[in-house]
Amino acid sequence: MGNEVVDHSRRRFLTAATATVGGVGVLTAAAPFIKSWQPSARAKAAGAPVTQSLKKIELGQQLIVSWRSLPVFIVNRTPSQLAALPAQDPRLVDPKSDGSSAEQQPKYAQNETRSIKPEWLVMIGICTHLGCVPNYVGEMKPEPFDPNWQGGYYCPCHHSRYDMAGRVYKDVPAPKNMLIPPYQYLDDMTVQIGVNPKEVS
Amino acid sequence: MANVLSSIGGWVTERAPGLMPMYRKHMTEYYAPKNFNLWYYFGSLAVLVLVNQIVTGIFLTMNYNPSAAGAFDSVQYIMRDVQWGWLIRYMHSTGASLFFVVVFLHMFRGIMYGSYKKPRELVWLLGMLIFLVLMAEAFMGYVLPWGNMSFWGAKVIISLFGTIPVIGSHLVDWIMGDFLPGDATLNRFFALHVIALPLVLLLLVVLHLAALHEVGSNNPDGVEIKKGPTGNRWSALAPADGIPFHPYYTVKDLFGVGFFLLVAAFIIFFAPTVGGWFLEHDNSIRANNLVTPSEIKPVWYFTSFYGIVRVMPAFLGTAVWGVLTMFGAIAVLFLFPWIDRGKVKSIRYRGTGFKVGLGVFVFAFIGLGSLGAGVTDKVFPQWFGDIDLAAWDNNFGRLMVVLYFGFFVFLWAYTHFGWEKTKPVPDRVTMHD
Amino acid sequence: MINRQIFMKRRPSVKYFFAAAGLALGLLAGSATVHAAEGHGGGLMPSGASVGDQASLQRGARLYFNYCVGCHSLKYMRYSRMANDLGLTKKEVMQNLNFTGAKFDGPVISSMPSALAARWFGKAPPDLSLEVSAKGADWLYTYLNTFYLDPHSPAGWNNLALPNAAMPFPLWELQGIQTAVMEPGRGHQVQKLMLSQPGQMTPAQYQQATRDLTSFLQYVSEPAALQRHRYGVWVLLFLALFTLLAYMLKKEYWKDVH
Repeated sequence: MGNEVVDHSRRRFLTAATATVGGVGVLTAAAPFIKSWQPSARAKAAGAPVTQSLKKIELGQQLIVSWRSLPVFIVNRTPSQLAALPAQDPRLVDPKSDGSSAEQQPKYAQNETRSIKPEWLVMIGICTHLGCVPNYVGEMKPEPFDPNWQGGYYCPCHHSRYDMAGRVYKDVPAPKNMLIPPYQYLDDMTVQIGVNPKEVS
Repeated sequence: MANVLSSIGGWVTERAPGLMPMYRKHMTEYYAPKNFNLWYYFGSLAVLVLVNQIVTGIFLTMNYNPSAAGAFDSVQYIMRDVQWGWLIRYMHSTGASLFFVVVFLHMFRGIMYGSYKKPRELVWLLGMLIFLVLMAEAFMGYVLPWGNMSFWGAKVIISLFGTIPVIGSHLVDWIMGDFLPGDATLNRFFALHVIALPLVLLLLVVLHLAALHEVGSNNPDGVEIKKGPTGNRWSALAPADGIPFHPYYTVKDLFGVGFFLLVAAFIIFFAPTVGGWFLEHDNSIRANNLVTPSEIKPVWYFTSFYGIVRVMPAFLGTAVWGVLTMFGAIAVLFLFPWIDRGKVKSIRYRGTGFKVGLGVFVFAFIGLGSLGAGVTDKVFPQWFGDIDLAAWDNNFGRLMVVLYFGFFVFLWAYTHFGWEKTKPVPDRVTMHD
Repeated sequence: MINRQIFMKRRPSVKYFFAAAGLALGLLAGSATVHAAEGHGGGLMPSGASVGDQASLQRGARLYFNYCVGCHSLKYMRYSRMANDLGLTKKEVMQNLNFTGAKFDGPVISSMPSALAARWFGKAPPDLSLEVSAKGADWLYTYLNTFYLDPHSPAGWNNLALPNAAMPFPLWELQGIQTAVMEPGRGHQVQKLMLSQPGQMTPAQYQQATRDLTSFLQYVSEPAALQRHRYGVWVLLFLALFTLLAYMLKKEYWKDVH
């Protein structure tokens, strides 16, 4: 016993080959388990585009609808609220939404009112600081947190403030303007949230 | 690269000096007999299946809903909506059945080669405990999908405890936490199935292996290699008939794993229900406490024990006899090391009586299984024509019960009174390539 | 290795043991076929259903949505999944198969309120998502082919696979009307069924139609079957390669062992 010649190179090759194939197998087998954490068909169905009629939303009112479990604010902005928007620019972090907030809206909503039609604001109501839902404070009157309040949003968690286009004021914790979701008009008074205008189905 | 690895290895070894000796003790310097045959694959395969059950089980809990209202829907959710959920569930359900296939063969190997005999009694006892816990684990897992078979299986098996005199009915209510299997039952079974019993199982497996490595593995010749000559090409002190577990048995087991996975993958991808044997048709119907499935029976791996309950009659006003007999059929397996007094371990050198007896035992086990699975209800009329099926089933089943226990009585007498004519056992193990 | 020759001629009587085990296995072997057709009274017709035939699935889906979905929901099946698996566009599904205005991502729910249905038929029509898993494709095929006119039954119809079925036969216009020929002298034993009034389809066409419907419901019972078959072959090939390599590796190492 023990005087045979061992073919080490063949042994090494076979070990490497088996280990490689086995390793590929283990990694491939891990893929289904990793993928099982992706949103399921049910979650995707729940995240399907939401259609909302605008007919019942009166001037100055806000309606909150749920899309992908997120609160989506739909506001019928008054002419005076709209008129006050340009005047806020010097007090805002990124008034044109082309700096730090460039990715916070689709291209078609990258404007002064951050919307497709000026009067209708469609926005995900999540504070860009730590994810609370800001309160809608629409009236243009002096508030304890701002004597010169022109309407907008006030976050109860860390007092971040946004104007009536969801643009964030300076000197608050929140860094960016609130997010505008993809949306489109199906007709004059119906919006569909979750779909860009060109992807008409 | 190799330098980095070895310096990391050195760093760890310096701080955990016990690791390398442990690795050597259980892998590179664990000398296993060199003559293991096909039957010796099933131990490592059982470990593989255990790992599979734990991993797939953890992922199933992520989407399963342990409530009477939500369990059935959540299984369909896993099967349809969760990405790759179907694969994870089929791996788990197929693994459950294959676990028993592997464990049955592993136990049979132990009986065939006398692996329960001195000095390995403790290995056998720990193995039997694993089997016992595995049965509890499988039963509770089977209830979780909350199909109609789950529900009625739970009801019938829990009712077994109801046959115990005096405390029986209270015990049943206590186990269920209700007067029928319901939310409370499902929740406690879930807790036991996903955490409590797996922990016990893992502990027992570690002890089983530790006990084995203490005394060393048996082999198909039943020769104690530690008592033979010493000195092999790896060590002058190691048994001459031993080879290092690593690499020789690790590469051999790797081949076994590959072959086993081929079989498992075929089932998972092409026949996950195995014609109703692994996943039963009636479990595709939601649990219904008003309708018992027309063919109520447990999954195949319980049918041998269930068959015993089916054929044992009630007398003295209680049905406890069947239950006692069933538990007795499991308990008697624990006693193998003490019932079998024979000195020769391996079936290769044992008397004809042992071989015939073991054949009869296997026949009785499978016969009871066929009865419990309802197979005899189908094949007896086919084979024997117009017969009184109930009487045939009962007589056949009782004969099988007698043969099952008769094997142990015979084995004791056969070895105790020295009736066994054994063949000479070689001094060294034999090899057959 | 000295003892080797002496012990080469051992274990002839292991054969006894294998003979006994083989006998016992015979019991199991005999059962395999029996189990497949389990417990449905026997005599089921082979359905020949297959989820691999996409055209058949499409025809089956059309039949289902024309004749069945009025009463029977498929609550675990989403329209979108079905469109994807059956090779149909969203538009085709929403226009031709979805009559309830349900969402494309939503499940197939019947338009009939189950309380109303329960009053009409004595019990609510069951959801059929898992019908083939529970009863088997052959059972369903037999059921769809063995309705016959029975004046004694409350529904006016009876069925060989499911005696006293509550459901009136919805496909009678396609199959025609079958009547039962009774076993002479044995009262209620049906000997065979006779087509007493032909329907819109020939018997062969009707059998194909019910085969399509059965295939479709088999698919609905387990949509994952399509993925299983698609990936299974590759998994087996891969494992075969691995096993071969492991075998060669084992052979190589075991050259040391004599």
